Amino acid sequence: MDITKSKKEQAEENNTTQHYEILKELGDCFTAVGNYDSAQSCYEKAAPLAPDEAAPYIGLGVIATQKAQLEDAEIAFKVAVRLDNKSSKAYAGLAMVAQQKGDYKRAFDMYLKSLEFDPDSLTALLGLFQTSCQMGSFEKVIHYLEVYLDMHPADTYVMFTLAALYMKDNRPEKSKELLANILSLDPEHKDAANLLEEVERSIVQKSQKQ
Amino acid sequence: MQNYDKTTKPLVSVLMPTFNRPKYLSQALASALNQTYSNLQTIVVNDGGQDITDIINAANDPRIFFINRKENRGKAFSLNQALTQAEGKYIAYLDDDDLYYPNHIELLVNALENNPHCGAAYSDLYKTYCRILPDGTREILSKIVEVSRDFDRYFMLYYNHVLHVSLMHRKDLLEKTGPYNENLSILIDWDMTRKLVFFTDFYHIPDITGEFYTSIGQSDRISYQQRKDKQNYAKNVLTIRTTRPPKPWPKIKDLAIIFISERFDQQAAKTIGRIWRYTFHPYKIYLPVIPEDIAKIKTDMPNLIFVPVAPSAGHAHKIDAALMQTDAEFIAIVPSGFPIEQMWLEDQLYALLNSSDQMHAIEFDSANDRLFAAIFKKEHLYYARNNFNHLPFRQSISAAGIRLQKLLPEQVPFKFDILFEQATKEYKNGNWPLAAEIYRHIADNYKNRLWMQSLAANALFRAGRYQKAAELCRQINQSRPTVDTLLLEAKLKKKQKEYLSAVELLENAKSILEGKNLVWI
Repeated sequence: MDITKSKKEQAEENNTTQHYEILKELGDCFTAVGNYDSAQSCYEKAAPLAPDEAAPYIGLGVIATQKAQLEDAEIAFKVAVRLDNKSSKAYAGLAMVAQQKGDYKRAFDMYLKSLEFDPDSLTALLGLFQTSCQMGSFEKVIHYLEVYLDMHPADTYVMFTLAALYMKDNRPEKSKELLANILSLDPEHKDAANLLEEVERSIVQKSQKQ
Repeated sequence: MQNYDKTTKPLVSVLMPTFNRPKYLSQALASALNQTYSNLQTIVVNDGGQDITDIINAANDPRIFFINRKENRGKAFSLNQALTQAEGKYIAYLDDDDLYYPNHIELLVNALENNPHCGAAYSDLYKTYCRILPDGTREILSKIVEVSRDFDRYFMLYYNHVLHVSLMHRKDLLEKTGPYNENLSILIDWDMTRKLVFFTDFYHIPDITGEFYTSIGQSDRISYQQRKDKQNYAKNVLTIRTTRPPKPWPKIKDLAIIFISERFDQQAAKTIGRIWRYTFHPYKIYLPVIPEDIAKIKTDMPNLIFVPVAPSAGHAHKIDAALMQTDAEFIAIVPSGFPIEQMWLEDQLYALLNSSDQMHAIEFDSANDRLFAAIFKKEHLYYARNNFNHLPFRQSISAAGIRLQKLLPEQVPFKFDILFEQATKEYKNGNWPLAAEIYRHIADNYKNRLWMQSLAANALFRAGRYQKAAELCRQINQSRPTVDTLLLEAKLKKKQKEYLSAVELLENAKSILEGKNLVWI
């Protein structure tokens, strides 16, 4: 019986991060309710308590983005990336800044980078979708949406987005299949029902032309 | 808890030894003086450190008794010196860099006055992790309730589970325990609490009534530095475990280990060495040997009693000779060469202590026909040997009707510790649902409720069982909120997008962390 060792080890696991965590969580909650000044103050106090953590800088970047202070936001996200070069959120932040600046190419690349580290990130996925629309290129985003759906097969929101993209990409059969899936999961999904009607019309027209 | 008759408030003596930490002393002293309970005597002992007269004068409180010694003699000496001036019915302790919360003394006095069978009481403390900034101030990083263990007398013999700063005890108990052991360089607090368990019960108040500090990286605590010397640490532990305060012991049953060996050879010395190293229940070893061997043995091993026997003495005769000399309530028979390891004896001893079976003895797990080893209640063994001494030893046991059995799984003591160790292992291996289940089982069946519930809530959170974790956290925070449990409940509220509730919990946690409950700061 060596209970002293296990107790010590357990204590060491979480013994120095509380103050940082409290301030970071406060920052996140204040951000969520739109109290950006309080959130900013919390993140600024949290950062020196855990100098190696990227999260407070991501929080500061998000606030600056919300306040349309894009230069400040970019600096904060860059610091976050320097502290954690695998931070999906930091890359998504840089992508959002680039998107708002109209640099869709960079935004697209940063969203891709974000998805590389977190294929689950809906923010990055939808950002990628938006920038794809803005650039008129859908090939890559379709791939990422397909990958995402492999992992989240019941996400009707992304299914619908992908169905719309298939339509734009002139693949109505794939779109029809996906919309049917949505309706089997959610028979009340009106947008899916409407789009399905449109898709079916398109398939008929296509076959008539042939 | 009800308040005792406040018209007869007992005096409490708070002992505060200090050595070269003036930076924190004034705050510690202020915390001792700014108590809701005022009938105090605070004895500050400067253990030969830098001058602190200004701090004492600035406190300007007639309840301070100041011993300003120029020579550094160590903590045990300082506490003993303070005790010579202590006039209180109760003694409390405060280190020069730690803090009491304002209700600390009041809660402990209430506990002792309302529970006269308990001569000692203790509460819980935050272990406060901090970073020392260049100007010497402490930047608080975390406040953790690391231990909140209900009193366990036998565990206390093995390991200290009461923080000295949280302890208050009756002063008259020191007449039985004796003073602090000035020969120890570390663990002097455990030595005292261990001695106290021989004479009294302890009352645990699971409220947080103070803080003790530890800085990250290199600790400046003297005890920490000295603990790094493993040999010194082991030496001190052995000294403590072999200390036997004067009898009578109303709360501890004594144990005699009768050691059976043909001659006192190397194997016998090795086995006794292992008994000394691994046994934590108080004992004496009785060694029946021929006078020729006694003359040859040179040892300063404590608690070793030589029993002279004739060269022709057989196994049973040696046991009889040793039995004549002991007044212990339990007798273990152990042969030379018997395997000795951690808990080798206590499992059997505590099972027998808890047994209501009238004629019952327990054979050690590793015992066999060649190496017979067992533990008996003294009266049973006396009965067997007095009435059947014409028989060989084992036959006399049977003839007396003593049922000899091996330890059954349900008899294994320290179940709390075994389950706790198992849960901790599961947690560390990432098996959080199982860890949570075990922690909850312990909380429901083996006391230490709040402590185990907090660990269960944390494991449930890690397991992604947010609803159950939230329910448990809410329950805990209603009875005893801590920084950890408030933070956990806030994280759960955030997951449910209840941001304003989360903010409220986090602000509460933050104010504890920043010491806003400490009125003198």
